[in-house]
Order: sequence, then C-alpha cells, then structure tokens
Amino acid sequence: MEPADRQLASPLGQTSPLVKLGVAIGWFVGLAFTTDVRPPIVLACLALLAAIWFGSVDLETLARGLTPLWIAALAIGAFNALFAAVNLDPAATELARIGPFRLTQAAVVGGLGLAARVVAFATVGIVFAQTTDPTRLVDALVQQARVSPRFAYGALAAYQAVPRFAQDLATLRQSRRIRGLPGTWHPRILIGLLIQAIRHADRLALAMDARGFGMGPRTTFRQVRWTAVDGLLLVGGIVALVVALGLGGAR
Amino acid sequence: MRDVAFEAAPGECLLVVGPSGSGKSTLALAIAGLVPHEIPGEWSGRLEVDGLDAAGTPRVELAARVGLVFQDPGSQVVMDRVEDDVAFGLENRAWPPELMWTRVPEALDAVGLGGLARRRTGHLSGGEQQRLALAGALAPRPGILVLDEPTANLDPWGAAAFFDRLRAIRESRSATIVLIEHRADDAWALADRVLAIGADGAPIDFGRPSDVLTRSGDRLRDEGVWLPGDLLLTGPQPRSEVLGPLLVDARKLSFGYDPDVPVIRHVELDLVAGERVALAGPNGSGKSTLGRLLAGLLRPTQGRVRLDGADPARLSAVELARRAGYVFQDPELQFLSTRVGDEVFLGLRPEERATAPEVMTGLGLPLEHFADRSPYALSGGEQRRLSLACILVRRPALLVLDEPTFGQDRRGYEGLLAILRDRVAGGTCLVAATHDARFIRDVAGRRIALDRGRVVADETLVLEPPLTDAAPAHEMAARRGSGPAAGAP
Repeated sequence: MEPADRQLASPLGQTSPLVKLGVAIGWFVGLAFTTDVRPPIVLACLALLAAIWFGSVDLETLARGLTPLWIAALAIGAFNALFAAVNLDPAATELARIGPFRLTQAAVVGGLGLAARVVAFATVGIVFAQTTDPTRLVDALVQQARVSPRFAYGALAAYQAVPRFAQDLATLRQSRRIRGLPGTWHPRILIGLLIQAIRHADRLALAMDARGFGMGPRTTFRQVRWTAVDGLLLVGGIVALVVALGLGGAR
Repeated sequence: MRDVAFEAAPGECLLVVGPSGSGKSTLALAIAGLVPHEIPGEWSGRLEVDGLDAAGTPRVELAARVGLVFQDPGSQVVMDRVEDDVAFGLENRAWPPELMWTRVPEALDAVGLGGLARRRTGHLSGGEQQRLALAGALAPRPGILVLDEPTANLDPWGAAAFFDRLRAIRESRSATIVLIEHRADDAWALADRVLAIGADGAPIDFGRPSDVLTRSGDRLRDEGVWLPGDLLLTGPQPRSEVLGPLLVDARKLSFGYDPDVPVIRHVELDLVAGERVALAGPNGSGKSTLGRLLAGLLRPTQGRVRLDGADPARLSAVELARRAGYVFQDPELQFLSTRVGDEVFLGLRPEERATAPEVMTGLGLPLEHFADRSPYALSGGEQRRLSLACILVRRPALLVLDEPTFGQDRRGYEGLLAILRDRVAGGTCLVAATHDARFIRDVAGRRIALDRGRVVADETLVLEPPLTDAAPAHEMAARRGSGPAAGAP
C-alpha cells in the first residue's frame, strides 16, 4: 500500500524520515528491556494517534494495514502462552486446563507481553510506511546521513522493480507449464528469475549511466533540511518512551 | 559492425536502419560513450561526437552532451515520482536547484506530460513512461539525442504520441537526433539522413532518405529492412478458411489478480479449428490475460473455459502442452536453457523432435549456426523468433501468440507468416494479441477487440481492416476512469 499524497504532505510526512526512523529504532530497543504489556500498548496507541492527528492517515487505511499484523501478533502470543515451558512447572498458578494442556498465569502474562510488543512493532512500522515517501527517505539518507548516492539511488530503483519480479515469476512458471514440464517450483525458475534480475539491473545501470550518474559532484532537486518539527518529534519520541517504560516499571 | 561511415550536422535527424542483429544498438551506445567505456569490445576507426573523439574522451564528457532513450520503458525509470525522475539527470550534472525547478516543468511540457509532475512513475502507462524517459534525456539540453527503438514496446497510440513529440523536437532543430526505429513510415518522414547497415554489420548506404530509397531500396528489402509504404504493398490476403469443429469455448469468463479489480469481465467466446483471430485493444485492455486463460495458464475467477472439451487450467502440464501453445511477449521469460539447441528440444516428444530443424530454419535461426549460442545473447528479434520456434515445434491445436511481430525485421516477419499459414491450413486455431495492423491484415480472419476486459467488437475480416482505430478514445476514457466504452455492445 503506497501512502497517499495527503499523508505525505502532513506534518508527520514532512519531518525528516531519519528522525522517524531514529525514534522507531529507539522505541524498539527500549521495548526490548521490558516484558510488561503496558509500554508497548501505550507506544502503539501514541503512534496511532500521531498517524491520525499529525499524519492525516485515515482509520480505514490503518485498519486495512494493521488487521492482519495484529491478528498475527495475537496468534504468536497465544502460541507462546500455550507452549510456554512455565506451564510444566507444578508451582506456577494454574488458570485453566484444556485436555492435556495446562495454562499458567505466568505463561499468559508472557504471551500477552510478546503479543503487545509485536503489535507495537507492526503499528510503528505501518505508521512509518504510511507517512514516508520512499524518495524522501532516500534523499534524507544521502543528504542527512551521508549514505553513498550510488547505494541509495540504486536501492530505490531496485525497490521499484519489485512488482516486476512478481510478474516475471508468474510468467516463468507458466512458461514451464506450457512446455509440458511439470513442477511449479523447479529450481530452474529461480535461475530464470535471477537472470532476469541481473539483466534488469544491467539495463537500469546503463540507463542511469547514460543520464550521467556517477559523473562527479551532484546537486539535489529536493533538499531535505532539519526543521523545528524534527526536533519536536525527536523530543516527543524520547519523552513517550521514558513515560511508557516508567508505566511498566511502576507495576 | 565494420567500416561504417556517416555524419550528421547539428539539428539534423539521422535514421539508422538495418536488419535484426546488424549492430544498430551498438552504434547508439558508442555515440553515448557507453561503448567502449562501459561495455568493452574491439574498436577501430574514429567516431567524433560534438568535436570530441568518442573512444578517447572520458564517458563523463560524452554523457554531458548526449541524451539516450532505450527500448524498454520499465527499466529506465529511476525515481518514484515523475518530476524527480526528470531531475535525476540534472542532479547528476550538478545543476543548481533553482534552475532545476524551472527546467523540469519545461521538459515535461515538451513531451506532453505537463500535468503529471507529481504522479508516481510506476502508475504511468508504457507510452507515458517512454515519454518520461525522453523528458529525462532532454532536460539537460543535450546537443545530441540518441533513441534506440523508442517505440518498439508501445501500442500504436503510445507510439503516435511519442512521434508527435519527436517531430516537434526535429522542427525546433534544438538537438541532433540519432534514431533507430522499425516503424518505417514515421521514421523515414522524420529523417534528414539515413544510414543503412547490413546483416553482416557492413554499411549499405548513407545519404538523403529519397536517395537511399532509390539507390538501395531493393537491397534493403532483401536484407529484411522495413521501408516506408510497406504496409500498403500487398493486398488483402485471400481468406480461404477451412474451418473445423469447435475447439475453445468460454462462458461468462471473468478474471482478476485482485478480486476487486477484474481484468477480464464476462467474456463469451467460441473458437473453431483453423480460425485466425486477432485480439486487439490498447495496452491494459486484457488481451494477454484472456490469451492466458484460453491457454490454461490462469484459472478463471468466474465462468469457465473449455479447450477441446477439457478445462485447460486443470490439465496436467504434459496434457496441456499437447493441446495449447502460448508465446509470451517477453521472450527472455520463456527461456529455460543456456543453449539454443537445448531450448528448442526441451520437453519435446520423440515424434516432435524431427520438425525442429525445419522450424528453426524457417524462422531464420538454422540450428547449425545457432544451436550452441546462448538464448540470452541473441538480438531482440532473434530471441522472439526462438521463443516462437519453441512453441511452433509442437503443433498444438490452439496457438496463442502475444505480440509475435514486435521488433521483427521483414525477413523474420515473412518466415513467421509462412509457418503460421501452414499451421492454420493444417487446422491450428491461431489467436494473436497484437497491435500490428500489417499482421492483422496478413493473417487474421476475425478481429476481437477488448476494452477494459470486455469484448467491444467481434468481426469477421473479409477485406482490409481499417489501419486506424477508435481506441485512443478508449484509452483516454480508461485513464480518466469514467465514461462508457466507445462501441460497447
């Protein structure tokens, strides 16, 4: 799902993608230090509110992106609660017994904590994707983080080719079928896909060279500059993380 | 290529013609400085570009003077947004940002994409992407514009729009144009000079278009080069159809990769043995998808297809290959071997193997010369003929071809025509998704037009079909996403 123009023009869309990325990574690292349910849920809710208030993302878009990820998070949590080693500990408080399975309180708390963290990761990821223009991300990486242009723009061009590879894969499989060759996952298909990827990269590199890429010093069409909003987002992100972790610590 | 000599004065348009594999693309890359700097090879002689010796000048210096547009629209787009993509070449040449902001809209206006500056490049049609590539090449105001078969992958409406823009550039004389192009009528009208190269890479002629036609027209025709007026040379083909029993029937056929976005809608179709059907319609109208459904490569989301009484999508691969053949638009996606010889014999039953040499020779790819070569190292036209050969060796009852004549020189085209006529006479049902009016006239007995997944016309072709079509209106309507299809039943 590509972000709509309205989302990219929003305050959250106009902040430096690097700050957003930094806050997201800071949150992920911070959440690794707690098993409590509350901090990840608080941060996920804050990310959602920020997406709606400052990111112009509508609820329907969020719901469509998040529903499958949240369901997956709950499934991971349930699986971990059900098969946790602590369920075998006779001293642990038993909550329920389903056939041969014994479900303990500690396992449920652990499962919920895991599910909550997966929910937080998924939510922050979707909010980032829905408010970040890929071009702006690459511009910021080159201009603000001094990443090599050859790597960054090459990666952007490769990212644009992803839908093409999905089509190529389907065609390669059909091509085997129409030649009377059984097996839709023959290794030769992957070789064909690899050949296509290399040839596409070749053509693209040639087209980039033909347009003077790598000639020498470059200028930039779209300047990404640090703004006060970036500072606000950074401070807000740190405060949110400290408060959320504090909630967890106060249990 | 060897011993080639030519010159073009500033503002002139030089057309380069020659059969498939004659080295035209190599010449284009040499002028842009990519040969021999990026792609090495044996180099002798002298090539001067804007007063600079091409082999001795750093590529950077040449790239600053030359804009290059390639054949494949999809692999020239670098950036995610239209205006960023045009600015890419300016950034590389270190233009100051304020100049870029005035030059990018100018370049987009010059190619007729003025309103699409903020559009995502992946959402453009192939024709629009190709004009975007032209804008990207034009933006740094190169003295020389090199175009390597820029319209080969476009539908007729995309190609016409591209040529409109090219004519305007030629009229303004703002850049020297080096054009490699198979669409002879448009290209020869644009040219000030023509350079003709033969199949062996040796020059045939160089001069004014009218002089080259007079002096070397016959020679060029023999070499397999398309010339202006070729579309009108032969009359309509006799339509002595020997129609057989019902072979394919489709009922209430619908398909969509995404259930919300149907690509094929409620198609009803009967095809009989010996029939020659052209599937027409603009890019994106569902021609290839319908072909894949009929050939059992896709499963309908609604409705059904019967091929010779069976559901082709449920047949085993071996059973399917016996009844249906499908030639994909991109030949490289069809190749499964590293030798041409292995490729053509792949999966053949013993009784089919005997026909392979004859088919390969008929398509201008005699096995004695081509068997040991890599399919990926062939020229574009040769690759397409090989992909056709791999299916034609099997004699399936239903033969579906996706744009079989793209990039074919005259010799390849005539070889293909002879084999197809022979197959149809033997009872094969031929379905070709094609924009090629010449191919439709030479081959088809029935024309089925699609627009946004629906059949909007189904007609028997008795005489020459009209060469133009009402489809630009369809395309416009499709892009706006509103309005009924013109000519909808």
